[in-house]
Amino acid sequence: MTETYLAQPDLGFIAQMRGLGGDTLKKCYQCATCSVACPIAPENSPFPRKEMIAASWGLKDRLLGSADIWLCHNCGDCTDMCPRGAAPGDVMAAVRAAAITEYAQPKALAKAVNDPKKLPWLLGIPAIWFAIFAYITMAHEDVMTKLFNVFGIAWSHAHEGAEHVIAQADFFSTWFVDLTFVPLAGAVVVIFFLSLSRFVGDIHENAVKEGKTDKKSIDVKAFLQALGRVIPLILKHNKFNECGTNQERATPHMMVLFSFIGLAIVTGIFFIVLYVFQTPGPYSQLNPVKWLANIAGVALVIGSGIMIKSRLDNKDQVTTYKDWYILGVVFSVGLTGMLTEMARLAHLEWITYGFYYLHLIAIFNLFAFLPFSKMAHLVYRTTAMAYAEYGNRK
Amino acid sequence: MDKKYGVYICTGCGIGDTLDMEDLVDIPEEEGVNCTTHPFLCSKEGVALIQKDVDEDKVNAMLIGACSRRVNFDVFRFDNCLVERVNLREGVVWPHSRETYPALTQEQKEDEEHFDRIQMKAEDYIKMGMIRLEKVKLPVPYKPESFSKKILVLGGGVTGMAAALDAAKTGYDVTIVEKTDALGGYAAKLRSQMPVSAPFETLQAPVVDKMIQEIEGYPSIDVRTGCEVARIAGQPGEFTVTFKKPGERIPFDVPFPLPEEMMVDENGKELDPEAAHAKFLEYNEGRLDILQMDPDGELYGAVILAAGWRPADLSKQGIDHLGFDLPDVVSNHEFEQIAAKGKIMRPSDGKPAKNVVFIQSPGKDGDDADFDYCGSVTSQVALKQARYVTEDYDDGKAYVIYQHMRTPGLQEYFYKSMQQEDGVFMTKGAVTSVETQGDGLAVTAVNTLLGDNLALKADMVVVAGGMVPATKDDPVVNLAYRQGPGFRDNDIFGQYADSNYICFPYETQRTGIYAAGAIRRAMTIEESIEDAAGAALKAIQCVESANRGVSVHPRSGDMTFPEFFFQRCTQCKRCTVECPFGALDDDAKGTPKANPTRCRRCGTCMGACPERIISFADYTIDSIGSQVKAVGVPSEDDFDEPPLRFLALICENDAFPALDMVGLNRIDYSPDVRFIPVRCLGSVNTIWIKDALAQGMDGVILIGCKHGDDYQCHFVKGSELAEIRVKKIGDALSSLALEEERVAFVEVAIDEYDKLPKIINDFVEEVDALGPNPFKGF
Repeated sequence: MTETYLAQPDLGFIAQMRGLGGDTLKKCYQCATCSVACPIAPENSPFPRKEMIAASWGLKDRLLGSADIWLCHNCGDCTDMCPRGAAPGDVMAAVRAAAITEYAQPKALAKAVNDPKKLPWLLGIPAIWFAIFAYITMAHEDVMTKLFNVFGIAWSHAHEGAEHVIAQADFFSTWFVDLTFVPLAGAVVVIFFLSLSRFVGDIHENAVKEGKTDKKSIDVKAFLQALGRVIPLILKHNKFNECGTNQERATPHMMVLFSFIGLAIVTGIFFIVLYVFQTPGPYSQLNPVKWLANIAGVALVIGSGIMIKSRLDNKDQVTTYKDWYILGVVFSVGLTGMLTEMARLAHLEWITYGFYYLHLIAIFNLFAFLPFSKMAHLVYRTTAMAYAEYGNRK
Repeated sequence: MDKKYGVYICTGCGIGDTLDMEDLVDIPEEEGVNCTTHPFLCSKEGVALIQKDVDEDKVNAMLIGACSRRVNFDVFRFDNCLVERVNLREGVVWPHSRETYPALTQEQKEDEEHFDRIQMKAEDYIKMGMIRLEKVKLPVPYKPESFSKKILVLGGGVTGMAAALDAAKTGYDVTIVEKTDALGGYAAKLRSQMPVSAPFETLQAPVVDKMIQEIEGYPSIDVRTGCEVARIAGQPGEFTVTFKKPGERIPFDVPFPLPEEMMVDENGKELDPEAAHAKFLEYNEGRLDILQMDPDGELYGAVILAAGWRPADLSKQGIDHLGFDLPDVVSNHEFEQIAAKGKIMRPSDGKPAKNVVFIQSPGKDGDDADFDYCGSVTSQVALKQARYVTEDYDDGKAYVIYQHMRTPGLQEYFYKSMQQEDGVFMTKGAVTSVETQGDGLAVTAVNTLLGDNLALKADMVVVAGGMVPATKDDPVVNLAYRQGPGFRDNDIFGQYADSNYICFPYETQRTGIYAAGAIRRAMTIEESIEDAAGAALKAIQCVESANRGVSVHPRSGDMTFPEFFFQRCTQCKRCTVECPFGALDDDAKGTPKANPTRCRRCGTCMGACPERIISFADYTIDSIGSQVKAVGVPSEDDFDEPPLRFLALICENDAFPALDMVGLNRIDYSPDVRFIPVRCLGSVNTIWIKDALAQGMDGVILIGCKHGDDYQCHFVKGSELAEIRVKKIGDALSSLALEEERVAFVEVAIDEYDKLPKIINDFVEEVDALGPNPFKGF
């Protein structure tokens, strides 16, 4: 006999999930068609049936700390086959969104990211921030040069003798870019670290309680090894492809994922080139790194564009604000990046700066709100999949 | 009636191609009866041919050798004529083909070796039909002396009111009798009721007030509250009803039959009728005999029984583990009363009950049964009451723990809608305990959708009590019938008012009494209203049949009724005891008194009578007996190896249609069996079986409907009684050195035509193995 479970339904949680696109959560009559239809549900304690009953009872404690909600890749087979018109796929997505909010700190920020009314703030704050530093870059070059000289560092990252070239650094100093994003990245890492340590503890506890794991405790080394085994599978989109109806979705998702990886590499290389080799951009289009950047940029635009289109076309699947927000941010990052480059190559200086400004705002949204937006699935799903691998979930 | 016979044989549908018509025509001709053949007898010309003979007064008793009597019955209908249909098509030429049984050559016809089994069957059927025509007479309907078309409704709840309104709208006078002081019944005490119309999603105010208002608008509806029925005497069309105040004791209170143990004397010997009657009067002291009519009684034509239900007493159901003694653990009935008063408050301290657990099943001993008398209605009531909780409190939570959640039909929409309530939580599960915990209650359940062991905190617990039919406590109808005041077989139905559940749901075992609503089975208000319409229509059918002297159902329109030749009655009471409908009341001496409009014309009395003094105008011991005797039984004098001969007495309600379907599907079976359709196997008198065997037939098979708890017998008891009688005849056979296996009893359902040929052939083979009847040729 397992221990007694005191069910404490949370009406607020039910309302929250209805708002996050899980409004069919009360329709389930536990026939289990969904779990049978699901191509990737494990045999032992399969999802999403048990998530549906827990959701309809508003059992927040059972859902948010479960790794299973992250093993779902939202193909929608369950939703298609549900005889009752419930959409387990959308309910799972809603639970994941609620889980991201639950684990992220600070909470107020997490709530703001999922609240369309707060969007002007999310866009406005970086807009003002970047406007101030753009003004400083352009209007107070002398002051900044003097200030940097105090520390013995060169202010300008502009090409020597390349005044005829349009460089974003002339509009918005590379220093400011990095002084914004490097600490931001640090903060994101810290937030994720805090969230994940709670998350891993919770999913382990939940797995033990529900008999979904063969491990009694978390062995960090073995867990990291499991992570190592899972990452190639994630890159290859193996699980994604197991969902039959997902194959069309796998390609754009893969494009976006790999373009981010590509752009991360590009950013890293140029960071080193700039600070170690003191060679500021813009770089030649003939440079292989630049090729990678361009390919990745195009892939990002196309991939996220396809995603937006399929969301628009798919009437069966619920698309809520949280989905549009992240798709919008990703698409904007790619589009403004490419437009900035094209305007620069077309020698349209002020247009280049305009796009670059928008690009910075988009990137800020992507990075700063990473632990709070749907983008956080990148971290949670990877962790959950690694845990499933570690705990032999089958 | 001076009978003028005529025989008409159709040669269409393969009859003429298969049979030797000359030989067939010879049979009536030899008897001096004119025989006409026609290639298409059911055509206009064919019918005109017969009609011409009728009009010219040449024929008034005719045999039509063509298709089964189950088809073209409207075509071959001639007023004031006896019509006998001989089933040459479905019964002879369709199941038995010339490929299987080749026609004989002229030479073969004359030798003693060959015989034509199909021709033999057809010729036997013509002979049997002719003798029946000779033996039966045209029925004259029975008409009661006094007659009323008024309809009496017992019960003033939703069902009773709906039935009264339906009957009144159709133009009938109705009296509603209600025990309590007001109309409305249980529904008047509800806060809300389940939906009765599309989209079936929300609770609604009870329909009671509207119905009461509507009833007030009908002067043809006489409402008597604070009133009940002391007895209903007589028969449909002329029921004499005595009313009284509830609880009052009056001489016309209905007497009860003697319990079985009082029917015998000290030595265990059955009392003679007069002694038994004296004892009966003594047993019912202060109550007049059933045959004593109340001179002040009121006359009614038919009765609708809508006495409804009462909440089950949960304290007697052994559910201590559910904390039923705790103040905050209540029944659904008590919860409804609390809800009707206002917001849901705890009985213990009057505080709001925001967390309420609804328990639908006892959940003990791994048994998933619900509480007694629970069903779909209690499931829906739980949903409804769960909604009260979320209706009263925004943060209210209602938990429903069930083993079965039954929401049949369109009430599924109601289930779906209640399921959508954020504060309603449902799981299958078995509740193991309800205990006090702190300020509230702790409920634990096992085997739930949420895991093996579930715990819930509750302010209140509601246990689902069932709906106990009024017939469990009381006969209610109080019929002054010799068989007793109530229905005999209520125990088959768990004390719900019995009815022929499968075939005729509104019809109780008492003609003229139609049950509707929760007394028949647990019903919602919606179902009760619909049920009431059915019962009202049946009551109307009853009065409109009784006034014409015809049977109501299932032999609707039958004008015959049992006639008794009393000089030979031995007062054995078997007819009064065995009549499934209590149609016969015996007097102080034990002589049966017929109540023809109570009768359903099944003939069970005719089958029961050892003196064979009961008959119907067109259905008598002699008419069937003569048909049996008309069957040719070839012996060794006729052929070297004579064919065996069998008699099948086949119930015309289900088995006979099934046999027609066998013919329709051209499935062959032994052509040596002669079928005689009977009204019901209950009407089979064992003399027919004895006659058949005595004249050398090799076996007799009775084919009828299924009996038992889920019987399909149209007359409830007929096939069951037939089986008992057949078993008894077995002993008599052994004493004649005949094997018991020569008489068989089988049950078939109407849709089991595919099984019938094998049943017949198996019986034939079994008897064949025994060898021919030794009495053959005597």
